[in-house]
Amino acid sequence: MACPSRGWPDVNRQIRQLAVGIMACYVVLFVALNYWQVGRKQELDARFDNTRQVLREFNKPRGPIITADGQVAAVSFPTAPGEPYNYRREYPTGDLLADITGYYTFAFGSTQVERSYGDVLTGSTAEQQVRALGDLLGGDVGTTGTVELAVRKDAQEVAKFLLGGRTGSITVIEPATGAIRAMYSNPTYDPNTFVDADFEVAQQIITDLQNADGNPLLAQAYQERYMPGSTFKVVTTGIALESGILGLDNSFPNEREWVPPQTNDPIQNYNGSLCGGDLATVFARSCNIPFAQLATLLGPDAMVAGTAAWGIGEEIPIDLPRPAASTFGNTANLAQELPLLAIRGFGQSEVQMVPLHLAMVAGTVANGGQMMQPYAVQATYDQAGRVLDRTEPEVWKTPLSPTNAGIMTQLMIGVAERGTASCCIALEGGIPVAAKTGTAQLGDPSNLDLSHAWIIAFAPADNPQYAVSVVLTDVQSTPDVAVTGGRLAGPLAKGMLDYLLTGAGSQPIAPTQPTEPPITESTDVDGDT
Amino acid sequence: MSDVTTFAAPASEPTVDSRLARSRRTTELTLVFMAAVITGTAYTVTALGTNAEIPPGIIVFVAILLGLLLCAHVMVRLVARGADGTMLPLAALLHGIGFVMIARLDDELAGLQATWSLIAIGSFVLTLLVVQRATDLARYSWLFFFGGAFLLLLPLAPGLGVNINGARIWVSLGPINFQPGEFAKIALAIFFASYLADRRELIAASTWRVGPIHLPEPRYIAPIVMAWGFAVVVMVFQRDLGSSLLFFTLFVVMMWVATERLSYLLIGTVLFGAAAYFSWTQFGHVQTRVDIWLDPWEDPLDRGYQIIQALYGLADGGLTGTGLGRGNPGQVPEAQNDFIFAAIAEEWGLIGASAVLMAFVLLVGAGLRTALRTDRTFEKLLAVGLTTIVGIQGFIIIAGVIKVVPLTGITLPFVSYGGSSLVANYVLLALLIRLSDSSARRLGELPDEPTPSERWKAWRLSKRVRRAERHGLPVEGLA
Repeated sequence: MACPSRGWPDVNRQIRQLAVGIMACYVVLFVALNYWQVGRKQELDARFDNTRQVLREFNKPRGPIITADGQVAAVSFPTAPGEPYNYRREYPTGDLLADITGYYTFAFGSTQVERSYGDVLTGSTAEQQVRALGDLLGGDVGTTGTVELAVRKDAQEVAKFLLGGRTGSITVIEPATGAIRAMYSNPTYDPNTFVDADFEVAQQIITDLQNADGNPLLAQAYQERYMPGSTFKVVTTGIALESGILGLDNSFPNEREWVPPQTNDPIQNYNGSLCGGDLATVFARSCNIPFAQLATLLGPDAMVAGTAAWGIGEEIPIDLPRPAASTFGNTANLAQELPLLAIRGFGQSEVQMVPLHLAMVAGTVANGGQMMQPYAVQATYDQAGRVLDRTEPEVWKTPLSPTNAGIMTQLMIGVAERGTASCCIALEGGIPVAAKTGTAQLGDPSNLDLSHAWIIAFAPADNPQYAVSVVLTDVQSTPDVAVTGGRLAGPLAKGMLDYLLTGAGSQPIAPTQPTEPPITESTDVDGDT
Repeated sequence: MSDVTTFAAPASEPTVDSRLARSRRTTELTLVFMAAVITGTAYTVTALGTNAEIPPGIIVFVAILLGLLLCAHVMVRLVARGADGTMLPLAALLHGIGFVMIARLDDELAGLQATWSLIAIGSFVLTLLVVQRATDLARYSWLFFFGGAFLLLLPLAPGLGVNINGARIWVSLGPINFQPGEFAKIALAIFFASYLADRRELIAASTWRVGPIHLPEPRYIAPIVMAWGFAVVVMVFQRDLGSSLLFFTLFVVMMWVATERLSYLLIGTVLFGAAAYFSWTQFGHVQTRVDIWLDPWEDPLDRGYQIIQALYGLADGGLTGTGLGRGNPGQVPEAQNDFIFAAIAEEWGLIGASAVLMAFVLLVGAGLRTALRTDRTFEKLLAVGLTTIVGIQGFIIIAGVIKVVPLTGITLPFVSYGGSSLVANYVLLALLIRLSDSSARRLGELPDEPTPSERWKAWRLSKRVRRAERHGLPVEGLA
């Protein structure tokens, strides 16, 4: 029988109050949850020591980066249980492709392809997510992506070999597409040394690299710019041809010096030599005065507009992060500074070009006047190997008409055949080649002989496959051997093109310094200011 | 007619289950099934989130999970079929969510937790079988008192107790570590309930005056104060702040409900304030806890690290969570244990975390409804005590994790990793279900059948009566 509640029914009142009390406690918890998860979400997410977002990204599986010739440039392995992170990133090619792949670290961010294509590699793009959902139903899951570079590992190896430890860079593009087939620069770094290291060790290595000469962490070939010297005459000549003030029949007086307007200081040719003749001759011998005169004749506005037509002043539209922009220098008061404009006409003073951009300049001539957007990644694939995206070649600028591109090609063939590059660029099997050399005198008052040695070239000249730019930076002339682009950088361009076109050149071919200056008809003006 | 016959079937009692009682079991079965589906789905989705693959043993996992829960359900159906139908499914849901989270954080612990789950369900079944009449527990109240005291003292025994994370609340027996405190709280709740049920009038009478305050006769209240003081002192030595707070609350709440005097609640609060202030001034580890609570960013890499990481996890989770298996709850030290709520809030978001809060609220509701429905003081108080343990323990640790109160290490009932906690909470659940069942039987919702042991006693007694009648002797044991 149910017992009567013995006159204590009011205990139930306490129990009800207790229920309300505990309920109130949980309401407080609910309010506090809202406070943290909604109210202060943004503030907490943004705190500097909050690593959740980056950690979530970091612990995702990450697909490989492979080269155009099928070699693995970056790959992830799962770590043993208990390791701080789920995956370990490895770069089997060491420093060879570091400029392209970049690195991927938890504490120090990521660079280059690892940065630009992080979404694809982790499978976070919308398309991959949708496809993964479809695959899930079929039982095949996983969303990581693969990035295929346009860069070839073998070409990269040849570039590294040719540079032989000297600071500078070699860049090879396909003129018709903009595909970057090689882009190697010194100094560089090996990402394996720090991507998987303990925080303090990694921090020390990265700090050391940041403080090292020449900033090894930078991909100098597209993230740095240098004075181009006479290679810039391709641009000046191109602008002049397009404007109609110049043709192959123009000729220039044989002069030793020329005084530009607004000054009394004369401009000289390289080594103060006597230089002149028709356009083909002055271009092949790389006289300075004709191009100073052309720049002055065109005037500041036409020069500024003309260089802009070549993409100078804009960041290079490459598919990698933080590209540099070439520059024609400060143009605000150029009308009052015509001597500066004249000097810039042959690539000195404030003109600075990105090595990749100069390869694109050569590529423009090779490609009938169209400058293609350069790309380091040619395709991306999903986990199942299906194509996600294939890079379509796109025209970036059209600074030359096809006719003028043909004229420029003739001028550059002249440089290779009988001009400043004739010493060093003749290709295996007599494949015709077009080139332009440059020796940028840095004008450092304490070291007047410090220069950048340049060459840009493309081959075969009648059916261009590759355009190359080579720069050796901060090279020192000695009293015996003057630094010139033709002599120093020429053999590297030859080695590169020989390898790519005929497979030759994988043997040692490039002495770092020619023991004797090659004797050519233009020895007196070999090289340029 | 002898009294024996009234044991079997009083005329006023129903002979069949009411529709209400039967519907409770249907509800329970449905909800248990849903809890299993939620757990199985969450387990699969979490594995997809972490490894992007469907766990290979998913069929076995769901089968074992369903098997365990159905086993518990069938046992309730057999021996406590009038009980509330929501308590078991709520516990199963919390248990399932906790297991999914533990499995996501640590494979090895998941295996252990699975074993413990088996033992916990076993203990649940065993408790239902052993405790057939809740009132039987009251008979052994002093046994529970000394048993509880013994369990509390155990970790302090040299050679047995081990220090883990600064708290000496563990006992190591060969390969098994367990926290006797988890069981002590149930034992002490039973003792309090029994003692207060017997003497509540005396205690409430408060004949003893200290100034304006009326207090009960010291000799009536002494055992409770002793039990409580003992527990608190022991746990101060064990540096287990969370359990101390829980015991204190349990004691105060039961005193208040039993005596119906608000003054006990107020006195309790004041006493607690004094004790808290005292320990704050005296103990470094208490000060540390308070400092971290006030400003964890004062020492973000060391003492404040855990709570800061938990808060970052909460923020990262936001409204909908990072997704199951897609967050980084492993950033929080002890995420599988005290901080499992932060892990859930991170990956399941405000929505999922609120569901956990809701489950606790509903469980507390079911427990207190049982307390309201039963008409026996002991059972009322026991239901209040057991429910308070679950509700307040959940509050203390969740509030600590989300920086509402200073953090005190304690497990989240049913959810956290830990064998002792899981087993103890399933025993507690079984007791609540037993209480709920007896209240339903006394309310006439289903026949109050004798338990097997009562049938056995009745059979023996009737044999003796018949023998005595045959021989015309007086019958012993029939008073």
